[in-house]
Amino acid sequence: MTDSRIMRTLAGVVTVVVLVAGCSGTTASPTPTTASTGPFTIGYSNASSVGNGFREEQVCTAKSEATALGASKIVSPINIIHRDTDAAGQLSDLRTLISQHVNALVFNPNDPDALNPALAEAHAAGIVTVAVDSYVTDPNTWNLYNNQVKYAYLGAQWLFKQMGNKGTVWYTRGAAGNSADSDRDIGFNQALKEANAAGGTIVVQNQGGTFTGWDPATATSITNDELSSGKYDQIQGIWASGMGAQIVDAIKAAGKPFVPIADADIGQFVNDLLNPTGYPNLVGAAVTNTASVGGAGVKLAYELLTKQTVTASAGAGRPNTILLDPQILDNTTADGKTALQAWVSVPNMDPLWPLSLSIPTWTDYVPNTVPASCSGAGANPTLAPTN
Amino acid sequence: MSATTATIEQPRGGPADRIGSFARDNAWTLGLLGFLAVLLGFTKFANPNYGLDSLQGTATSVLPLALAAVAQAVVVISGGIDLSISSQMALTSCIAATLMKGYPGEGVAVGIVILVLLIGVVLGAVNGALVVLTKVPDIVVTLSTFFIWAGFALLVRPAPGGAAADWLKGLVVGGLGIDWLPKAAILLIVLVALIWIPLSRSRLGLSLYAIGSNPLAAFRSGVAVNRTKFLAYVITGFVAAFAGLSLTASTGIGTPVPEPTYVLISIAAVVLGGVSLAGGIGGVFGPIVAVVVLQLIRDDMTFMHVDPNYGLVAQGLILIGVLMVGSLIQQRRSRA
Repeated sequence: MTDSRIMRTLAGVVTVVVLVAGCSGTTASPTPTTASTGPFTIGYSNASSVGNGFREEQVCTAKSEATALGASKIVSPINIIHRDTDAAGQLSDLRTLISQHVNALVFNPNDPDALNPALAEAHAAGIVTVAVDSYVTDPNTWNLYNNQVKYAYLGAQWLFKQMGNKGTVWYTRGAAGNSADSDRDIGFNQALKEANAAGGTIVVQNQGGTFTGWDPATATSITNDELSSGKYDQIQGIWASGMGAQIVDAIKAAGKPFVPIADADIGQFVNDLLNPTGYPNLVGAAVTNTASVGGAGVKLAYELLTKQTVTASAGAGRPNTILLDPQILDNTTADGKTALQAWVSVPNMDPLWPLSLSIPTWTDYVPNTVPASCSGAGANPTLAPTN
Repeated sequence: MSATTATIEQPRGGPADRIGSFARDNAWTLGLLGFLAVLLGFTKFANPNYGLDSLQGTATSVLPLALAAVAQAVVVISGGIDLSISSQMALTSCIAATLMKGYPGEGVAVGIVILVLLIGVVLGAVNGALVVLTKVPDIVVTLSTFFIWAGFALLVRPAPGGAAADWLKGLVVGGLGIDWLPKAAILLIVLVALIWIPLSRSRLGLSLYAIGSNPLAAFRSGVAVNRTKFLAYVITGFVAAFAGLSLTASTGIGTPVPEPTYVLISIAAVVLGGVSLAGGIGGVFGPIVAVVVLQLIRDDMTFMHVDPNYGLVAQGLILIGVLMVGSLIQQRRSRA
């Protein structure tokens, strides 16, 4: 293309784009904020960790909840953008959904601050916004997520007790910069500080932790590095951030004895805790980190759209925030094993999915039907609503 | 692919001749524009709410990708390729966000932007110097520097964060007074015009096409091949720094882990935009249109409730299709 024509052509394409995109002749009016009957359209964005059991289950429960609420309340299937990208990519995804004039956006944020421009645009268009699994700093967005500080605290507290409040711990983390990971870091360090203040002598082998990115392959790789470097032989405990099954498998493959490990309620990890034959002398605890925040986010969006009273959690530290409290179970007692066994009773559960499939008052679907009804992120569930 | 170089003289004649000549010379790009128009029509069908206000979002979304495609186009026209663009973007974005957080102030941010652009020039210069001095294939050199720049980005910012000056964010978000005039699109046009028009009219621009088309012939014609190739990478680094700054401007942070799709889409857009991967043919306008096309394809899939990951499949298929069509055209021409 010749130089002198570039600017003219650029102007031309802008004209073409404007003419074609604007063929309706007017700019679309924002969705009215007073809508209160439905059915409502919901856009859902998950922009990282595709293939990760938590994220897949989270997206699945969102679809399940929409179906369970019923076509008179939520248009099903909800529109989902589920891919790996960065904050700029998720901004793009949110804007794509905004251009559809959905009534609500439910999303798992890649960053607490970066999405605020698109969220402001959503609010200007009258769209309700709900962040799940992590928080955003946009003041008009509701946040609904697991109390990650407490998640880390409970697991670390249990682990340090198992270690007799002394020795070296290997600290594995999630994704750098993710707010859930940052909160867990706070909880872990809080437990560490308390243990050492009470006379403990616990040392973190890898100060600041090692990031797995919540990627199973990365988790296996860093564990193999830990094993091959001989550092594993110096530790007395492992704190994991959802990748416990991969860590345990790598230790088993290396033929090394297990050390106590605290992780999340991922199916495969809990099964390992309940399998003394395959994983002899494995002592561990699983802390709930329910992926049902996806479904709960859809329910919260519906309640906000229908102007129902939503109460924020006290002590959340930020406005418009609902915190879900975790629970911890371990395999050191018969009662603990029985309780863990109850978790794994859901049929056809993907081994990489978290086991806590429902949240009281926040999900309406039948938990046992979720795995069978949602085989993969692209599937549309056909669930029977419970109400 | 028939996009012509800046060096081809246009025949003089009546208006009809000139229009015909323009259409022939720019058949590929015009075809792509036609496809974009059809795609926009389809987008309107798939999402009846897609209107003028939606253009703002589309323009803001494609800005970093479009700048990455322009950066890639420059080096591909010269016969090279740069696989490190996404990590250059990550590094420059992280430096900008970190400095703007550490040294707040709207005025200071101007200096930071200039510094980041200079760093982009340095990154490009390192790529160019390595390619020219070591004679190692471009693809290997830039794959290596991809990891180097990515490592530096993580050293600058171990985790996403930082800040951006308000004026920088204001450059890319929203409309310029009216909804249908996105600031991001205006910024893109201004930047590309300021960089590409002087470049393509200069001796250096001519040399870029010459070494991309036939380095030996260019050398025998007196073109400083190594210097031109070096400068192609410098310009690519400079434009990639703009792309990195656009990331900081749109998100207000720096993200240290490079998003691999930036480099993949930049190459796909270059091919789809009529730039020959063999070098010497094409311009920067086609790749920009191609980026918008690729974005709309992904958006349309979302509107139709198709898993957006099929968008990647579609982009791959389009790439293969374009390369096959381009190859067939070349074969037919060589037979004629």
